[in-house]
Amino acid sequence: MKNGKGWIYPYIQENKKLIMITVFLGLLTVLSATLLMFTSGYLISKSATKPETILMVYVPIVAVRALSIFRAVSRYIERLMGHNVILNILSKMRLRLYKMIEPEVLVMESKFRTGDVLGVLADDIEHLQDIYLKTIFPYIVGFCLYLLSILALGFFSFEMAGWVALHLFVIVVLIPLLSFVATKRKIILYKQGKKALYQVLTDAVLGISDWVFSGRQLQFIEAYEHKERELILTDRKRRSFNRIRNVLSQLVVAGLVLIIIIWAAEQHELGLLPVTFIAAFVLIIFPITEVFLPLSDAVSQLPRYQNSLERLESFGNNRPSEIQALKEFTSTKEIERIAAEKNVKLDFKQVTFTYQSGKMALKDLSFTLNQGEKLVLLGPSGSGKSTILKLLLGIFIPNRGSVSLNGIPASHFAKDSSKVISVLNQNPHLFDTTILNNIRLGNLNATDEEVYWAAKQVKLYDYIQSLPQGFSTQLHESGMRFSGGERQRIALARILLQNNPIVILDEPTIGLDPRTERDLLENMFHVLRGKSILFITHHLAGISPDDRILFLDNGKLIMNGTHRQLLLENERYAKLNA
Amino acid sequence: MNKELLHYNGIKPLIVVLLFITALQGVAILLQAKYLAEGVTSLFYLGIESTFVESLGFFTVAFVSRYLLVWLKDKLVYQYAEKTTSIMRKEMLTKLFTLGPRFAKKQGTGELVTLVMEGVSQVRDYLELFLPKVVAVLVLPIIIWIYVWSLDVKSSVVLAASLPILIMFMILLGLVAKAKADRQWKSYRVLSNHYVDSLRGLETLKFLGLSKSHEQSIAGVSKQYKKETMSTLRVAFLSSFALDFFTMLSVAIVAVFLGLALIEGEMLLGPALTILILAPEYFLSVRELGSDFHATLNGQEAAKSMKRILEEPLLIEEKEWELSNWSNEDELQFNHLNVSHHKNEGRILKDISLRIKGKKKIGIVGESGAGKSTLIDVIGGFLQSDCPAIAINGREVHHLKNRAWQRQILYLPQHPYIFFDSLANNIRFYQPNASMVEVKRAADQAGLTELIWDLNDGLEENIGESGRELSGGQAQRVALARAFLEDRPVLLLDEPTAHLDIETEMDIKERMLSLFNNKLVVLATHRLHWMKEMDEIIVLHDGRVVEQGNHQELMKKRGKYYELQQIQGGRTL
Repeated sequence: MKNGKGWIYPYIQENKKLIMITVFLGLLTVLSATLLMFTSGYLISKSATKPETILMVYVPIVAVRALSIFRAVSRYIERLMGHNVILNILSKMRLRLYKMIEPEVLVMESKFRTGDVLGVLADDIEHLQDIYLKTIFPYIVGFCLYLLSILALGFFSFEMAGWVALHLFVIVVLIPLLSFVATKRKIILYKQGKKALYQVLTDAVLGISDWVFSGRQLQFIEAYEHKERELILTDRKRRSFNRIRNVLSQLVVAGLVLIIIIWAAEQHELGLLPVTFIAAFVLIIFPITEVFLPLSDAVSQLPRYQNSLERLESFGNNRPSEIQALKEFTSTKEIERIAAEKNVKLDFKQVTFTYQSGKMALKDLSFTLNQGEKLVLLGPSGSGKSTILKLLLGIFIPNRGSVSLNGIPASHFAKDSSKVISVLNQNPHLFDTTILNNIRLGNLNATDEEVYWAAKQVKLYDYIQSLPQGFSTQLHESGMRFSGGERQRIALARILLQNNPIVILDEPTIGLDPRTERDLLENMFHVLRGKSILFITHHLAGISPDDRILFLDNGKLIMNGTHRQLLLENERYAKLNA
Repeated sequence: MNKELLHYNGIKPLIVVLLFITALQGVAILLQAKYLAEGVTSLFYLGIESTFVESLGFFTVAFVSRYLLVWLKDKLVYQYAEKTTSIMRKEMLTKLFTLGPRFAKKQGTGELVTLVMEGVSQVRDYLELFLPKVVAVLVLPIIIWIYVWSLDVKSSVVLAASLPILIMFMILLGLVAKAKADRQWKSYRVLSNHYVDSLRGLETLKFLGLSKSHEQSIAGVSKQYKKETMSTLRVAFLSSFALDFFTMLSVAIVAVFLGLALIEGEMLLGPALTILILAPEYFLSVRELGSDFHATLNGQEAAKSMKRILEEPLLIEEKEWELSNWSNEDELQFNHLNVSHHKNEGRILKDISLRIKGKKKIGIVGESGAGKSTLIDVIGGFLQSDCPAIAINGREVHHLKNRAWQRQILYLPQHPYIFFDSLANNIRFYQPNASMVEVKRAADQAGLTELIWDLNDGLEENIGESGRELSGGQAQRVALARAFLEDRPVLLLDEPTAHLDIETEMDIKERMLSLFNNKLVVLATHRLHWMKEMDEIIVLHDGRVVEQGNHQELMKKRGKYYELQQIQGGRTL
């Protein structure tokens, strides 16, 4: 687990004390179970010698009862402590992952940005808690118990302690190690195979109609089953190994029983061990080995966490190189002042931007957007529209030329761009909270009345009020009943509360049908009057005759004019008006 | 305890075998305890003697046999579980393909895949864990108890009394924990979802300028989550506390009783020691069953979900019919066709009567929810009507799920699926044996030339998930290339270009039109520019055919079609 250090070791270090307490309680649990058997054995042996009075066995009788209660209590506390530590670690890891993603979320590859990948990372963290509960804690407890047993035995006989140490070494260290080595490759192969099958099956389910129409579905099932059989074979070998290993471990236990009993017999013959202790020594073997036996499984499960660890680490290493460390910032106060004036002039001056990969995204682009104007950025996907968004937000810095707001470079706004610029993209997220809170995200200080006002503006107020719980409806419980158009309206309401001078609409109507699209766009432009609007789109819905159009292709500006003009003058443009 | 379990194929003989092996195992446990106790006792009274050595020998044999029996049991159960779940998986796969894309979409691809992959292993774990353990609980305590009873009645009474008390407390505390968990469920769910929800919405938070301050909210919620989880666990762990407590207490009580009996001389050391060794074994099977209880719950849930899917009704069985390649003489007819997606849901298509004769281009238009895709799915053979309302060349059927028909169809959806494979293999999906020259030609016809230039390995480059990702337009071109390569007489298109930018759309449209020649084409879309190219337009509204005719006729009519044109036209002056 060398490369797992980053996500495991620091947390052990950090929670050393709590982990030690947990382990201590774990030991206490085992010890009281062991002592219970030891005392019981002693108790009946002593009784068998028919002591004069019951008082001779009074102490063991009380001890036995006390220990039985003690063991249950300490086990209970141990489990609670263990989970307490895990939850601490879990919340630390979550925060760390969040902080890793937060600065980069807007520049991540779109593949990464989709909620699913992030969801997988969140699951990975969740998954890692098992490594503590199922492997780390039990192993530490087991190993400490190993040392303690040998130490205790050392009081009676050094030689015997040595022999038992060697013997137990087999089930505490040797067999777990062996089983780790023997099954590691199989577990990894199995996981890889399983991942590949996931892929194949997902492919098949998504492309199900192609399989059906091609008439090749039986062929697919055959091929799939074939791969699955290979996987089963790997698993079968591992399981068979495990079963044999379990029998062998039990043989070691049997051996231990024999060693102890014969040793006790000899000691007794020599008069070194009172006869009443023989049964006691034999009886403790079982509760002690009960702790050692599961260790092999605990250790050989380690490769299962490999994937999660690798994913978390590779995520940390795969940082996009386009973000540069920004040094200069305009103060928040100043930005708030500028935003409050509601008069921001946006300026692109001969901007050229090239990705690190060498791909040119924008070449020599210039335009100005005065307060209250509307500008349409039109062009096919990959024409550089989303790069413009990132330049505007100050996340990217142009290689040549400048992007500025009221003459100040956009990158100086990077930290607080959300105070000046609002963005509505294709997929605004609705959070798992009430509708009221979702809208209020635009401005956390907004009163309920202001939220209602915004909802009225986007024509959702009546609909929301008609829901049984009104604005208090929990979003996810409503069974995702919001359609694409309604989700966009909620996002629009947020933007109204945000009340920034500049609004960027980044293809907000993709996937909506024409009627919904038209209604939504009409509503948007109506309620956003007075704000500067940069409307990024790839078709002509929502464009009015007097709108200014910039048509981009491959990062270059190839048409510039009003809709009306371009329709008349430009053949390529006129063709778009299908 | 679980009747479902008994319905698995071949499980009854297995249970009988398990009962037998477990009984043997029980005997081995008794012998192991008896000889160990005898060994110690002979040492106690006689010192190292032949009986001592003998007893140890018997002990070892009993001990080893016990675990060999466990080995055998595990092996048998594993084999059974593996075989059963393999069959289950194959049934699931076959069923999924029979149910078709509509079902997959409704259930969610991710969910189905997870069910087949994880669900099947969960059921396997369930069988593997639950079966031997439940048999052990039924057999071992009884065997051990009878033996203890024959040795000492008092101890047997303690053991007999404690087991029901233990189980009762476990169930009682389990119920309390569940009630508490249920009470907290709502806030618990919100708290545990909060993190994933935050990550998924991070982009939005960033745009709203809240992403930094949200860190505190995450920390706060984590704290709250921890608090609530711990308070639930405090109760939840009580049930295993009860298990531990009563097990240990009754072992202790048995030990004390034995000690007293020994002092009184009512008993010998040998039997007493045997009972003491057996007492923890008596509870062991119950403890083991309890510890895996949650794993078995998942398995049961998964088995239920799979059963639901396996029992999902199929289309009405019809005899396979023959149909030669679609020609101008062939005719497809709908007579008062009604279609609903599910038995208890409302009808999506209502009273549709249509005649489609020969090779021509048919456009289907209507607003979202009008039933366009449903109609395409009926023609594709994925949906049925309640009565035989479909006639193909006069033959009346409930649905068109038929080999002879489906192999003539090529289907181009809005988001054609790209398999994780090379570009060439994706194109030759329908024609696995097509030559590279043919593939190349089809790719050129679909306008993929530029993409092939762009890819390092050209046609051999892997595309799709985990390969090079294609844009919507490129994916559509790959589907188009498939269609060019596999020249089938019937084409179904469902909204093939709506999500593309206009120039790509126009380019793909032109290429598609060249493919449409001399075929039966059914194209559903809300992009009305397609309709000028269609021989016939069907206008759907709320599941009914409201208008029918060509573009000119329908425009003149100034009805629904005209209205739709107005909505789209409205935005371009």
